[in-house]
Amino acid sequence: MSITRRQVLAGSAVSAAALASGFPAPAIAQSEPIKIGYLPALTGPSSSTGIGINRGTLLAVEEINNAGGINGRKIELISRDTQSDPTKAVNAVAELTQRQKATMIWGPLNSGEALAATPLIARDKVPMLHPCWVDELIDVKKYPMSFRIAPTNTQVGGGANYYVVDVLKLKKVAVISDTTGYGTASANTYVPMLKAKGAEVVYTNNVDAANPDLKPELLRMQSAGAQAIMPWSVNAGFLSRICNTRGAMGWDVPIVGQTTLGSGQTKALLEKPEYWNKVYSNNFRQVCYASGKLLPRAQEFVDRLKKAKVEFGDTLLWWVALGWDGAKMMGDVLKAAGPKADDIVAYMNKVKGWPGVYGTVTWTPEQHNGFPDSEVVMCEVNSLKDGAFNLAPGYSA
Amino acid sequence: MLQSIVSYGLAVGAVYALIGITYNVMFSASRVFSFTAGMLGMLGGVLGALFIAKFGLPVIVGLVLVLACGAAVGVVTEIVTVRPVLKSIEQHLYVLSTLAFALMVQQLTAIEWGTEAQPFPRLIPIGPDTIWGWLDQQFWLPMLACAVTIVGLELLYRKTLIGRAFLAIAEDSYAARALGLPETRLRLASFALAGMIGTLAGFTGAEMLLAFFGNQSILNFYGFVPVALGGMGSNRGAVIGGLALGLFQQAANFLVGGIFAAVAVFAVFIIVLLLRPEGLAGAATARRV
Repeated sequence: MSITRRQVLAGSAVSAAALASGFPAPAIAQSEPIKIGYLPALTGPSSSTGIGINRGTLLAVEEINNAGGINGRKIELISRDTQSDPTKAVNAVAELTQRQKATMIWGPLNSGEALAATPLIARDKVPMLHPCWVDELIDVKKYPMSFRIAPTNTQVGGGANYYVVDVLKLKKVAVISDTTGYGTASANTYVPMLKAKGAEVVYTNNVDAANPDLKPELLRMQSAGAQAIMPWSVNAGFLSRICNTRGAMGWDVPIVGQTTLGSGQTKALLEKPEYWNKVYSNNFRQVCYASGKLLPRAQEFVDRLKKAKVEFGDTLLWWVALGWDGAKMMGDVLKAAGPKADDIVAYMNKVKGWPGVYGTVTWTPEQHNGFPDSEVVMCEVNSLKDGAFNLAPGYSA
Repeated sequence: MLQSIVSYGLAVGAVYALIGITYNVMFSASRVFSFTAGMLGMLGGVLGALFIAKFGLPVIVGLVLVLACGAAVGVVTEIVTVRPVLKSIEQHLYVLSTLAFALMVQQLTAIEWGTEAQPFPRLIPIGPDTIWGWLDQQFWLPMLACAVTIVGLELLYRKTLIGRAFLAIAEDSYAARALGLPETRLRLASFALAGMIGTLAGFTGAEMLLAFFGNQSILNFYGFVPVALGGMGSNRGAVIGGLALGLFQQAANFLVGGIFAAVAVFAVFIIVLLLRPEGLAGAATARRV
């Protein structure tokens, strides 16, 4: 059947009349799903984190929808695998904000992609929640609709510094980093923080992560009187060499640093399993074992994971918990504030003490970093059991 | 400290020397400076870990397979990246197609193997000796490989007909062809030989350097330094240059440390080249006028 010009004009006139007469919003709009754009890295080098977070996210969405959704509307999670590639994350943002008209965005889940995607999401004025650590990703003036549900890099370094200086009471510290942007920026940020806490940084250096022999570095640290080594790198080869060299030297100082210290890749490169003793990496209080037990919130979550048959022994509990917190937070916000962007932001600006599994979140209009310093802790890297670690010695339970 | 400088320095230096020899073997037969030497070293470590640690093959079988793969990659390098270029251009000292090929293989390794360093198995099943740690197998294996290679090459070049044919091609390829030597086949064989030497370097050095795709750029560069220091085409020069580089680099690690150690190495490299552009063991060539 052909459509004539007259029919089109007639149709347009009817539509215009309907708009002018102020039709009530069709019932269908009130029952259609609320779209949440989701940008996980499910493949590529950052995918281990993405896969863990994804399991928690899917569980939360399923729980919300099974419980009746958001005021009768289901959540539709529109997931786009960024493949650990910032370019693909940027392309997905354009699709989710402009074509799909997502109400909120969850992600990207790693800082490299978030650095590329955040300005675009802000430009399209879509509220966004992410778990990335780079400090610059939160700026209430530049990105007023962007909120963080995880600690910043400064908090992560601060947690490690607190453990060395205030918990272990060690005052002479060696800081070593690799020559990457992350390594040098971390060391440059954390060394002044250590000094401000009254510690003496007796040795600091940037070393090529591929250097096969770190004995000269550790000997210099030892002769400078270092009581703790704080390495800042995400390179498992570099970190394992520090552990191996310390072990071969028979040097007993603790190694305190970033989460990669406790990764499976680092473990695989150890010359002896005992070289992982007295190595402490960043973790989060809510999802660590204290005296062999998880806190009630986390234990209840683990029970739910087991009931829903969500695998977490092959990943990290905090990744799964973080994914659940992100989706649950958005569900709670949408339920309370409705789907309008300004209402969502106004509500999120007042969230206080939100009890997540991964962390307790508080935002204000001036501060969109929601994670409390007190929940950034260190854990024993050789204590992994069911995806979680023991709190490092010295913390009160 | 001295023990550590000597053991680590000589071991890393032996790996650099072997990569330098890899450059030389390819260069002698083709007059082409192929940038695939570091790639071969990287593959030696990665393939060794794959065959022995992942597939569970015996060490000897793993070594033979690694050398066979090295030879195959050498042959492919010659056929795909060198031969077509030699046919079509006059000036071909640095053939960038070899660099492109090396980068492609490195990226494929990163995708298939991963971007994290992975462990390389201990080749001789004894644990690391903490008292005599500086005499550990990770140090003497690359030195042994270097010694075997240099003796083997000397015997090949001096005692066998095919070795003399290699030398003839290296000396003057036009004259050699005029005498009826099969230049193309000899060049192919020398690339296969270089592939085996390069992967042997990576294989024996991998307990120290780990199975890591990023080793390619380090070996490419630090393997080039002994060639430049020792003189292009001189295997003895490459061995002396490689060992000297390893010792100096390790001494700089101890004395200045961190990124300054690399700066010290580059500074000495530049000074030596300014003083002796032809290399320490190379002879200054007379310019035709």
